[in-house]
Amino acid sequence: MILETQRLSKVYSVGQEKIPALRGVDFHASAGDFIVINGPSGSGKSTFLNLIACVDRHSEGEVLIEGQATSKLSENQLAELRKRKIGLVFQSFNLIPVLSAYENVEYPLLLLGVNSSERQRRVMGLLEEVGIKDLAKRRPDELSGGQRQRVAIARSLVTEPKLVLADEPTANLDSETGKQVMSIMRRLNEDHKVAFLVVTHDPVVTQYAERTVKIRDGQLTEENSHVVAYSAA
Amino acid sequence: MLWHIPLRNLFRNRRRTLLGLAIIALGTAMVYAVLGYVDFTMYNIRLGTVKQYGNFQIASPLLWDEKTEKFAYLIQPDTLAKVEQILSKEPGVVAYTKQLNFSGLATTPNKTKVVRATALEPNNRALDYNDLVVTDDKEHKEWNVGKGLDPADQGKVLIGRTLAKELQLKPGDFFSVTATTVDGAYNVGPLRVAGVFRLNNEVAEGQLIFVPIAYGKTLMNTEGVAKIIVKVNNLDDSVRVASSVQEKLRAAGLELEIRTWEQLAEFYRQIKGFFGALFGFLMLSVSVLVFFIVMQVLTLAFLERTREVGTIRAIGTKRSQVFSMFFMESVMLGVFGSFTGLVLGWLLGQGFNALGIGWTPPGAIAPVPVRLSLTLGNAWLPFIVSAIATLLSSLYPVTRTARITIVDALRTA
Repeated sequence: MILETQRLSKVYSVGQEKIPALRGVDFHASAGDFIVINGPSGSGKSTFLNLIACVDRHSEGEVLIEGQATSKLSENQLAELRKRKIGLVFQSFNLIPVLSAYENVEYPLLLLGVNSSERQRRVMGLLEEVGIKDLAKRRPDELSGGQRQRVAIARSLVTEPKLVLADEPTANLDSETGKQVMSIMRRLNEDHKVAFLVVTHDPVVTQYAERTVKIRDGQLTEENSHVVAYSAA
Repeated sequence: MLWHIPLRNLFRNRRRTLLGLAIIALGTAMVYAVLGYVDFTMYNIRLGTVKQYGNFQIASPLLWDEKTEKFAYLIQPDTLAKVEQILSKEPGVVAYTKQLNFSGLATTPNKTKVVRATALEPNNRALDYNDLVVTDDKEHKEWNVGKGLDPADQGKVLIGRTLAKELQLKPGDFFSVTATTVDGAYNVGPLRVAGVFRLNNEVAEGQLIFVPIAYGKTLMNTEGVAKIIVKVNNLDDSVRVASSVQEKLRAAGLELEIRTWEQLAEFYRQIKGFFGALFGFLMLSVSVLVFFIVMQVLTLAFLERTREVGTIRAIGTKRSQVFSMFFMESVMLGVFGSFTGLVLGWLLGQGFNALGIGWTPPGAIAPVPVRLSLTLGNAWLPFIVSAIATLLSSLYPVTRTARITIVDALRTA
């Protein structure tokens, strides 16, 4: 199992008031899964994503990445874990503006200390896979939204993680580009056997899921499992 | 490893970076220029002081303690011979000379004035006043025929410009000088003006006269000398050579004490202290200015990158790496700014020097040049001060940025 959460809870404090955002969530994902978590605004889906991405601390329960409990890990250990095992795709792409597409994808490899030739092989390979090899030298402000999200997807996969977490990856894209991006993610999911977990409130995205989970009031409910002909999208 | 990111970020918001660079550069240039002025001025004062006092002087403790009654402080010939033997064997000593001082009355047919006489060995290599003789005065051309003292000149004298004006004397004129002998009797001798000297100090030029030491001894009826003035091959060696000679004097059982030029020159120490305080205050002011403005610039620059920081932290960058990246950016800003400041300071300083500006200090007769010593040796301090002020100013924004909470940073628009 790649990811497992056990009775995962998150409570926010606003003054004296305690607001539960996640209430004892049990969840798991295996290698190669493509899971879509959907729910309305304020349902707790971003909180859930932040907790399993190890960028936020939970109040109770546990998050296990490849069987490793994360609650007792230090800041540096969590950074190490994110670097090696988790890829992230953001709603607003979150590329580094001063770096080219190539350099943005290369950045996580620099953190890992991968040598130059291997970096080049992996970066160019992924840029080709997401279809923007020719745009490698362009900076983010010279790319369209869809192209930026492809760079972000390539960046999320370049360290060969076990799990890619995508937070509303199509929210800032038009519907056609959104479909293209989802198709790419689905294809990479199959090609690389990486588990994808996509958080969205876009019903179109759900069509690409082989497993859909609904989140409401901080609780998950398994909706269905199905195989999607993503290539038709 | 990730040096290219700070470098590119540095030039991302050009206007803000330019503001930061300008503040650092101006601060550096200002400190460089002032240090250059202080250095040039102090160098000239130092040269003038050493020219006046020699590198060090040897005399009886009685003279240094101003217990001058009955001339007991005079160094008698047998002691003098032993001192000369020590000095002649001391490496680093270039030359030395004997000196005798007395006060007296200078009298012309029309006027009498109190003078302080320095009796010295003409043309000696340790302390020579002959090069102070005026030969190019535009107002008093009659002085320009004057010459320095020669060992053969027994009854000749050099007088200051102010004294020459007051007593209406010129080279070739005679006047008499009255002094007290070591036995307490009055003695009068004739003196012929060999030349008029320039010290650029109105008070000194109105009181001092230089006579050959043989004349002084005759007038004071003594074979003794007041002090021995020593010249050392290198100004920076003064203290070392002085200590070595002092040890040898002690070993020879001679009750003589050495004073270095810096110990003797109260004026030099006061000026040095004044400039030190002034320069320290300026450095502090510039550092504080650079500190606060650059901190403001960096805080804003880093604040607008909050979400980026959240992103790079989320994909595995450690806090320490974020700190390094942003600190490196500050280092680059500090180094670029300080270097630019040095170049700016050098260029402006060269322009200033080319103007040939001078000013007349209090008590001086002629203006002295105001120059900036724009050497490499004077460059490192302003560079370091500005760079350190920049780095210190960056510590708060850099630390704050590195400690950002990832989730909060990612939520930032």
